[in-house]
Amino acid sequence: MIILETRHLTKIFPDGTEAVKDINLSFREGEFAVIAGANGSGKTVLVRHFNGLLMPTRGEVLLEGEPITKNLVRARTQVGIIFQDSDSQIVGQTVAEDVAFGPENLGLSPEEVAATVKETLESVGLSHLANRRPHLLSGGQKRRLAVAGVLAMKPRIIVFDEPFTGLDYPGVVQVLNQVLSLHRKGHTIIMVTHELEKVLAHADRLIVMHGGEVAEDGPPGEVLGRVGRYGVRQPYGNRPVETMTWIS
Amino acid sequence: MDQLNVFHYMHKDSVIHRMDCRIKLGCMVLLSVTASFASTWADFGILAGVFAAALLGSKLPVAALLRELRFFAFLILLVFLVHSFSVPGQPVQSVPLPGLTVEGVTSGLTFAGKLLLIIILCVVLAGTTPLSLLGKAVEWFLRPVPFIPEARVATMINLVFVLIPLIFSQAGEILNAQKARCVERRKNPVKRIIFLAFPLLFQTFKKADDLALAMEARCYSEKRTKAVFKATPVDWGILIFSAAVFLAVFFVT
Amino acid sequence: MNGSQPVNLRMTVYASLFTALVIVGGYISFPVPFSPVPLVLSDFFVMLAGLFLGPAWGLTAIGLFIFLGALGLPVFAGGKAGLAVLFGPTGGFLAGFLACVLVVGLIAGKGRPSVIKDLAALIAGNVVLYALGVPWLKAVLNITWGKALALGMIPFMPGTAVKIIAALGLAQFLRPRFTQIISSRSGMRE
Repeated sequence: MIILETRHLTKIFPDGTEAVKDINLSFREGEFAVIAGANGSGKTVLVRHFNGLLMPTRGEVLLEGEPITKNLVRARTQVGIIFQDSDSQIVGQTVAEDVAFGPENLGLSPEEVAATVKETLESVGLSHLANRRPHLLSGGQKRRLAVAGVLAMKPRIIVFDEPFTGLDYPGVVQVLNQVLSLHRKGHTIIMVTHELEKVLAHADRLIVMHGGEVAEDGPPGEVLGRVGRYGVRQPYGNRPVETMTWIS
Repeated sequence: MDQLNVFHYMHKDSVIHRMDCRIKLGCMVLLSVTASFASTWADFGILAGVFAAALLGSKLPVAALLRELRFFAFLILLVFLVHSFSVPGQPVQSVPLPGLTVEGVTSGLTFAGKLLLIIILCVVLAGTTPLSLLGKAVEWFLRPVPFIPEARVATMINLVFVLIPLIFSQAGEILNAQKARCVERRKNPVKRIIFLAFPLLFQTFKKADDLALAMEARCYSEKRTKAVFKATPVDWGILIFSAAVFLAVFFVT
Repeated sequence: MNGSQPVNLRMTVYASLFTALVIVGGYISFPVPFSPVPLVLSDFFVMLAGLFLGPAWGLTAIGLFIFLGALGLPVFAGGKAGLAVLFGPTGGFLAGFLACVLVVGLIAGKGRPSVIKDLAALIAGNVVLYALGVPWLKAVLNITWGKALALGMIPFMPGTAVKIIAALGLAQFLRPRFTQIISSRSGMRE
C-alpha cells in the first residue's frame, strides 16, 4: 500500500532558487528508504514537505491518498521528522517534559500525556533518565530523546535527517539499532544521509538526489555503483551492499 | 561560564518538591518580599531559620550548593564593602580606616543579608521545581488576566530557560576560541563586543530557527494540555506559615 | 485550528531568545578603557532587541525579563532578583529598558532601515533609559542631582557609546539575514 506520495513537487524559494524540481516519489507502508545526495541537492527541503513544514510552490504531497493540506495536524503526527541537530529540538527542562511537549500540543488529558511519556521512554530505553536535564545526555542519548519526542506523537512514518552527524561509534550503533527496531515494528522509515556505509545494508531502496531532482531510484545494490557521479562517496572498493552497516 | 548551574532543578523526593507549584510560587513571592523588608536582627534571625529549614527540608545537596555559591559570595562581600565605605556617619572606633562608618557597616550587613536570603530562596525554588512547571503555575495565575496570552507566556518562560544554557556554552566556546587567538591584546572594546556578539547572535539565530521548526513539526499549539494542580493540607499549612513569617517581620519586630 | 502560525511561533522563539540574551548579558562583562565600571551586555541586547524585534515583540521580550525578575528568579545583572530590585535604587533602569526597547523599535522600524535612523533610534533609546534611571536613583537614595549623575550615568557613558557603535555595526550585518529569515519563512506558505 502506498502511504506517502509526492506529485510534481516543486519548490522555488522567494530568492529564486529552485530547491526541488518536479519530484514524483511514492513510499510503500513499511518501506526503509535511504535518500542520498550531495549538500544542496535538495534532500532536506524535500523531506520537510512531507509533513507540511514547507509548502510546495507547485504540486502536492499525499498521505494515504489525501492531500496533507487538508489536515496539517494529522500530517504532522503521522509523519515525524527527526532533525539533524538534536540540541535545538529539545524544548523541555527534563527528558520526560521534552517527550510530553508533543502530546500536550495535541491537548491530550494529563493522564494520557503521562502514560504516553512513560511508554515512549520505555520504548527508547531512556526511562532511567526521565528526570535528567537533556543537555547533559550523551550524543547518542540526545538523538534517542529526539526520536522519543517524535514517537510520542504515534507516527507511522519516521523521517531521519542526517541522524549520524557528530556521533561517535557507540552513538551511531545506538541510533542504528533504534532505527532498525522501529522498522521491525512496522514504521515506514525514510532516512536522509550521505553516510551510506553505516546503513545501506538494511535499506530496501536508495534514492539519489542531484540538483533538486531524483537522479536515481532503485534497490541499493543496483544504484550503488552509480552514486559517485552525484557527489555521494561510494564506500571503499566494490564492497557488497550487505556489508554496509556499523552493526556487527 | 555556567554560574547559573546552581539554579538547576534537582530531582528529589521531598516535601518541598511535592508542593503544589502555585502555592510554592506564592510562598516564594511572599518570602522574598519579607526578606527585602527585613531590618532588625530578629527579622534576619527568623528568616535565616526559616530558609535554612527550607534548604534542609528540600533534600538538596547543601554542601555542593554552598561550594557553587562562591560566585555570589564575592558579590555579597562587594555589596558589604561598598556600603561600609560609602554611607556617611560615625567612624568605627576600633578600626580606624578612612571612610569606614558604623552606619555603613550596618547598612552593608543589612543589604548583604538580604541578598544572601534571596539567593537561598532562589536556590530552593529552582532546585525543587522544574521550570516548566513554574511556567505552568504562572500560566494558572495569568488565566484571569485579560489580554495576556498565558499559554504563550508559559512557553516563552520555558524557552528562555532552555536557551540560557545554550547561550552560556556558546559564549564560553567563542570566548575560549578567541582567547586561543590572543583576543586580550585587542584593546578596542567595540571590536571585542562585535567579535563576541556577531558569532553568538549568528549561531543563536540559527538555533532559534531550528527550535521553531522543531516545535512546528511537533504540532506546537497554544491550546495545550492544561496542568492540573492539587493543593494538599500540607501545602496550605506552608502557605499560612509563610504568611505568618511575613506578618511577624512586617508588624511585630 | 490548522495548528500553525509560523511567523508568530518564530517571533515567540526569537523574543524568548532575546530575553535569554539580556539575562546572560548581565553575567558577561568587559573592561572599558578610561572607565571605572566594567561594561555589562544587558542593555546592549536590549538595544538589539529593539532593532531586530521591533517595538511590540521587543517589549514582550524585555517585559518577560522584568517579569521573571519580579517573580524572584535571579535574572537581573549579577544574579539579583525580586521586587526589591525593581523598586530599589536601580529600578528606574529596568523601567528604562522597557522604554528604551520601545523607542528604539519605533524609530528604527519606521520605513526603510538606514544607519542614520538606527543611530538616532539608539541615542534616543539611551536618552530615555537614563532619563528614567537617574531621577529614580536620585529619588530613592535621596541624593543631589550631581551625585545621582555621578553614580548612575557618567561612569556608564564610555560603555554606552561603545555599545551603541557595536549595535550599529551588528545591525548592518545581521538585519538583512533577520528580515530574510522572516520574509522567506512567510513566503514559504502562501
